Amino acid sequence: MQEEITKPRETLLDAEEMVLNMGPQHPSTHGVLRVLLKLDGETVIDLDCDIGFLHRGVEKIAEQDTYAMITPYWDRLDYVAAVSGDLCYVEGVEKLLQVEVPRRAEYLRVILTELQRIASHLLWLGTHAIDIGAVTVLLYCFREREEILKIFEDFIGARLTAHAFRIGGLWWDVYPEFETRVRDFLKIFPDRITEYETLLNTNRIWLSRTVGIGVLPAEEAINLSLTGPVLRGSGVNYDVRKAQPYSAYADFDFEVPLGENGDTYDRYLIRMEEMRQSIRIIEQALDGLPEGPVMAKVPKVIKPPAGEVYHSIEAPKGELGVYLVSDGTGKPYRMRIRPPAYINLQSLKRMAIGHLVADVVAIIGTIDIVLGEVDR
Amino acid sequence: MAAVTTTKQKRSIGQIIKRLLLLDLIEGLFLTFKYNVRALYEPREGGNPNQAIYTEQYPLERPRVSERFRGAPRLNLDPENGSTLCIACDLCALACPVDCIEVGSIRREVRDGEKVNKKKVLTTFIFDTSRCMFCNLCSEACPTDCLELTQSFELAVYHRSGFRWDREMLEKGINYVRYTK
Amino acid sequence: MPEILALLIAPDWVRSLTGERRPNDFWAEYIVWPLIQIVIVLFIVLTVVAYLVYLERKVSAFIQARLGPMRVGPWGLLQPAADGLKLLLKEDIIPIKADRLVFSIAPIISVVATLVVLAVIPWGAAWATIANVNIGLLFVLAVSSVSVLGLVLAGWSSNSKYSLLGALRSSAQMVSYEVGMGLSIIGALIFARTLSLSGIVEAQRADGLPYFLFQPLGFLIYLISALGETNRAPFDLPEAESELVAGYHTEYSGFRWALFFMAEYTAMLVTSAVAVTLFLGGWYFPGLDWIRSNWGQTVYVLLSVAAFAAKIGALIYAYMWFRWTWPRYRYDQLMELGWKWLIPAGLVNVVLTAIWYVLALPEAQGGVFGFVKQTAGRYVPTGAGKIYFILTGFIITIPLSWALLATINRRSRDFNLHDQRQLQIKLRSERIKRNEPVAE
Repeated sequence: MQEEITKPRETLLDAEEMVLNMGPQHPSTHGVLRVLLKLDGETVIDLDCDIGFLHRGVEKIAEQDTYAMITPYWDRLDYVAAVSGDLCYVEGVEKLLQVEVPRRAEYLRVILTELQRIASHLLWLGTHAIDIGAVTVLLYCFREREEILKIFEDFIGARLTAHAFRIGGLWWDVYPEFETRVRDFLKIFPDRITEYETLLNTNRIWLSRTVGIGVLPAEEAINLSLTGPVLRGSGVNYDVRKAQPYSAYADFDFEVPLGENGDTYDRYLIRMEEMRQSIRIIEQALDGLPEGPVMAKVPKVIKPPAGEVYHSIEAPKGELGVYLVSDGTGKPYRMRIRPPAYINLQSLKRMAIGHLVADVVAIIGTIDIVLGEVDR
Repeated sequence: MAAVTTTKQKRSIGQIIKRLLLLDLIEGLFLTFKYNVRALYEPREGGNPNQAIYTEQYPLERPRVSERFRGAPRLNLDPENGSTLCIACDLCALACPVDCIEVGSIRREVRDGEKVNKKKVLTTFIFDTSRCMFCNLCSEACPTDCLELTQSFELAVYHRSGFRWDREMLEKGINYVRYTK
Repeated sequence: MPEILALLIAPDWVRSLTGERRPNDFWAEYIVWPLIQIVIVLFIVLTVVAYLVYLERKVSAFIQARLGPMRVGPWGLLQPAADGLKLLLKEDIIPIKADRLVFSIAPIISVVATLVVLAVIPWGAAWATIANVNIGLLFVLAVSSVSVLGLVLAGWSSNSKYSLLGALRSSAQMVSYEVGMGLSIIGALIFARTLSLSGIVEAQRADGLPYFLFQPLGFLIYLISALGETNRAPFDLPEAESELVAGYHTEYSGFRWALFFMAEYTAMLVTSAVAVTLFLGGWYFPGLDWIRSNWGQTVYVLLSVAAFAAKIGALIYAYMWFRWTWPRYRYDQLMELGWKWLIPAGLVNVVLTAIWYVLALPEAQGGVFGFVKQTAGRYVPTGAGKIYFILTGFIITIPLSWALLATINRRSRDFNLHDQRQLQIKLRSERIKRNEPVAE
């Protein structure tokens, strides 16, 4: 595929084509992603992604570590939304073990995961805005994200790669000021979202940079097996929280925003609305937090019966899935990760061809990739 | 399901006037101007999201670290007689995903009244903080609350060998120059 | 106008310095005094430019809820000194196959072209202008265009494909927006009737109102064009970091890069100064004459310089404010804005202003309303004339030109660049498959 792009054609009577390398070190590729662009002037006529710069062999490591030891590795896949990664794996193992997690633990898990969804969307918004030129939004988003990370630090013990969940529940129960802190945050946050919208939503420069860019029709989105806001931007109503409810999501009442045109602006609006819906979920969870233990009775050495399970959750980036094959021992036989960013990245070629070079940056931002997940 | 519509509708007269007067650009300007003005007169308290300036000036103002924060490891000592709480059970080394702990022990005879037991006594404990991912699995595995991840996060050293902490360093804590300016 | 020439006479103490040696005023008037002025202006402007960088960092920090430079000196005030020292001490790197002479000269051309303009700007009343050229405005436009040459030379001599592309894009953008700038100032010139910058300030003083009230559309076009000319946001795509083509000054480091940086900030200063002179009344503010008669000449001149500096400061703050608030336009949108909106708007502004002016002439000259009266060789609007001009400027010119341009550009609004390009690519690949020549 790469050779196709870099080899010049023989019948090149108009030598206007240029191959541009948006190298692994670039401020806008959100990690070590290499994109090869074949340009005609400034229009992209072909595109190829070169990934693998951050490959760490997590799936292989999983074959030689016990189930409990694998959990911290999931933080480092999508390091921006670490808690979601933990949730996916831990629920997968619990499905394999057929352990029932106490209700209180499930509600707390939902609260932490939705807070992490807000944090991940904030980072997405900040980086997307700064790629398009609005620098101030990045700093504002990081301020709010900092508040969430402080809550995580007080609860879990670490900010970014928080080993949040254990197999069977949580390690720690809430700390005394948890509820006040979260409610304070929820009180100030809707105004902050309004601030970001003031700066961006109706701004004519933002509109001209994002409306009509990277349009993806619904049928192509489904054919490319996209998930998450990229799919919902094209109008397809698929959210794992509603389609196959996991954890305690069936108890909560929230809406899933859908787009119409499938362009960058729609995906932007969807993620902003998702942040607001997450606030709703957290409030409902806090109001209805049941009493009880936070850890189920799980043996010290986890040896699930032989079998296989696939469990997926709605991570902020899409459908994050884990496929575990157990052979009865304490170490999994195979762990396969379904990375949403990797699969969504495949739509880059479809979306970017025909646009200008400056739009490629906007499109990479709107797909919302994290290279830790793309490369694993 | 909430639909987020972005279809190009015919703009109403109000919207046309707004576009003519550049109001969409100007309301963004007002927001940033408000921040600018507030930053000049508000008293500064780092880390407060309701203040105009959020910066905490490190190293003059150190961040408040939570109680459960997972930082530098420490081997706890028995508060009564100052001996180590570690029973050299090796559970932490087994639990560690990155194999950064090495526990060395010998079996020593201990007189307990009239019985003679051969107890495991800790000799060396090496903890490689460069490999550690601070996941807390070792601390959760420890049966005697001996190994604990403390709130110390300034772990920079000048040489790679400084990352391998031996038992003495783990019990005393890292010795670093505290910069205050 | 004899009054204006009289204003530039060197003060007495300068003449007293040389008066004993030479009997005539030549040395004092044309050599010593201008030298003193040049040294003062250069010194102050270069220091101000260095501190503009500091100001930008502080302003951006306060907008973004953070602090900016704080460590070097109290409140970070010595930061420009530290930066300058660092840049001077950096290693001088010239790329291997670069054209050494041109590489070294390019930043010098840029900086000198922007600094030369400072000679004709009326920094204050009386003796606070270095040279009062009759065609001052034309001089400003012409000399500031020379800095584009420095840009292109920098991109070319860097021997890097990306620098060249960045330089070409930057220079194309600057040249396009200069046309818009030139057209937008003609409206103000219709009122001022002179190209000399000091004369324009005197005209605003005589008319009693700054010209942005008479020419709101011209002011707006000028501001936007100035943003585009100096490569500032929202038109800074050619030099943005997230862009693939990293701009013409990629290969420059150390003090040469500092020269480019200084050229950019001096260009900001110069365009602000021209905007203030043309539209905001220059160094004049309403109480100034009273100050001259009561507090003496020196205080008068110093206060006028301070007023000018304050107005420029407000405009420069506006530049920084715009940069840190809005996202940036894509290159083709930027060029479209320049050519399809600003230049036609400038033309429409000129035509409409001329129509209103001619209508306002007294009956003897062929006008209708008689809103301007001939006073001491100039046409000065009467009280009713001022209201007439303000009203026509705001209420008729702006909506009319906007409606006209929207109608003209309507055809291209539905022009979907993406679809057109897709079609082009498809046709092209089909032709290649059939092994036909691709070029039309």
